[in-house]
Amino acid sequence: MPEQNLVIAGYSETAVEFRSGRSAYDFAGEAFAALLQTTGVEKDMVDGLSVTVPLSECANPFFAVYMTEALGLSPTWLNYGGMGGCSATGGVARAMAAIREGQCEIAVVLSADAPSTNWGANYGAWRGEFQDPVGVLGPPSAFGLLMSRYEHQYGLNYEALAKIAIAQREGGLMNDNAFEKLKKPLTVEDYMNSRMIADPLRLLDCVMFCDGGNAFLVTNEAKARELGIEKMVRPTAYAEVTNFKGSDPVADITETGFSVLAPKVFGKSGLKPGDIGSFQPYDDFTIAVMMQMEDFGFCEKGKGSDYVMATDLSCQGDLPLNTGGGQLSAGQPGLASGGLNLAEAVRQMFGEAGQRQVANTQNALVTGIGVIPYARNWGTSTAMILEA
Amino acid sequence: MSDEQAKPRPTPKANKFVDTEAFWQGTRDGELLLQYCPDTQRFQHYPRPISLYTGKRNLEWRKVAGTGTVYACTIVRVPGSGLEGRLPLSVVTVELDEGVRILGNVLNLEPDQVAIGQRVKLAWDAVNDETAYPAFNVVEA
Repeated sequence: MPEQNLVIAGYSETAVEFRSGRSAYDFAGEAFAALLQTTGVEKDMVDGLSVTVPLSECANPFFAVYMTEALGLSPTWLNYGGMGGCSATGGVARAMAAIREGQCEIAVVLSADAPSTNWGANYGAWRGEFQDPVGVLGPPSAFGLLMSRYEHQYGLNYEALAKIAIAQREGGLMNDNAFEKLKKPLTVEDYMNSRMIADPLRLLDCVMFCDGGNAFLVTNEAKARELGIEKMVRPTAYAEVTNFKGSDPVADITETGFSVLAPKVFGKSGLKPGDIGSFQPYDDFTIAVMMQMEDFGFCEKGKGSDYVMATDLSCQGDLPLNTGGGQLSAGQPGLASGGLNLAEAVRQMFGEAGQRQVANTQNALVTGIGVIPYARNWGTSTAMILEA
Repeated sequence: MSDEQAKPRPTPKANKFVDTEAFWQGTRDGELLLQYCPDTQRFQHYPRPISLYTGKRNLEWRKVAGTGTVYACTIVRVPGSGLEGRLPLSVVTVELDEGVRILGNVLNLEPDQVAIGQRVKLAWDAVNDETAYPAFNVVEA
């Protein structure tokens, strides 16, 4: 088979809503219909589908198959991605592999979730015996622990975390899809005065669970051109790791999977941190953004606070950061979360970001984080470099 | 109905993930038993269906001393199931002297007095009249 130049040839994203009263299927349908419309692809041409496991519907193990019925698709390749916030970038990578393998030619990577309307998850496993009794019920307390350790080892300037929240909020204010109630300018005082959730984690360090969806068209460049599609980006490097250092009971929890992904994606693409046009890291919590800045070599390990304070993170700045507000300021559409960062990366490279358009549309770095494990940092890490 | 009223906490259900009978018997005997891989002479926690170190099912349960050091600490301040009447709650990751980490609560200090690096020893948190759960007290230096 000849080498194929695989591309993301379209994206769509719904507005983020809170307690919308709508289902993941409905958001998926909205995102899917919009993707068909913007790309001009006919529904029946879609022969591959990757669906993200949503919190709101995960009690149904057949959600992905139900989705094909809901959308009237008969894919010859179907993937059901259960890596939480890594399912969108991971879905694109898996779709590319399936296309290379000849299992499909036009794939849609579809993520939609509505946990603020319907919470359908029950993690089970060890949690009832070993995590719930001590009061670690969700990601904030796990991240409070992680932050405390980071602060102990490296020091932490809370004003730097405030700056991350504020820089992203500026982008969110310019994002029509951002959740309406988050569209208020932020100040350092707002951040400092926001209530403690799990010390030293404050409310404004955290995302808010919302509802929403997004979709991406993955195919080869020749096919896209044949369909009359002109805007496309190439995922030139992708890497993932799950359960990093999972068999080391005393691993340094400030060391994350991204530390091994960064050299892989920079090596494969030939880019350096200084070349990155926009950085769209998974942002469930501000500290995760700072730790990724370190892991991807924008600064040294442990120097994240100083780097943030010295760097313009705005869309016109040195390192445009989560330029649409990220999940922190657009709202986290459940486990469709990872697609929010990815959609903004593609949007910027397509030159469709309006007032928040970055100058360098030659590339973007997008990441995913999925699942919070027992007493460590996070379960899955993904990194993808897109190039024009 | 007042939220101030602390409801009795439910006893966690044993054996939901793997066979944890030894751990729960330990809580009744006032001992902390953790899963142990005799092939590598290492502990693992939470308990797993196989040894993380060998991939084999050759596992046993052994008593640990219950002494260790605070590795990470937070104060949970948001309500949740089972947290009624417990907030603000000191939650710590303790690195036990046997080389394994465990989540727990510190019982004998105000939450804002707990810090990374403090030495701790095993204590027991009364979940309800029947059940005690392993927790920690900070040992004065």
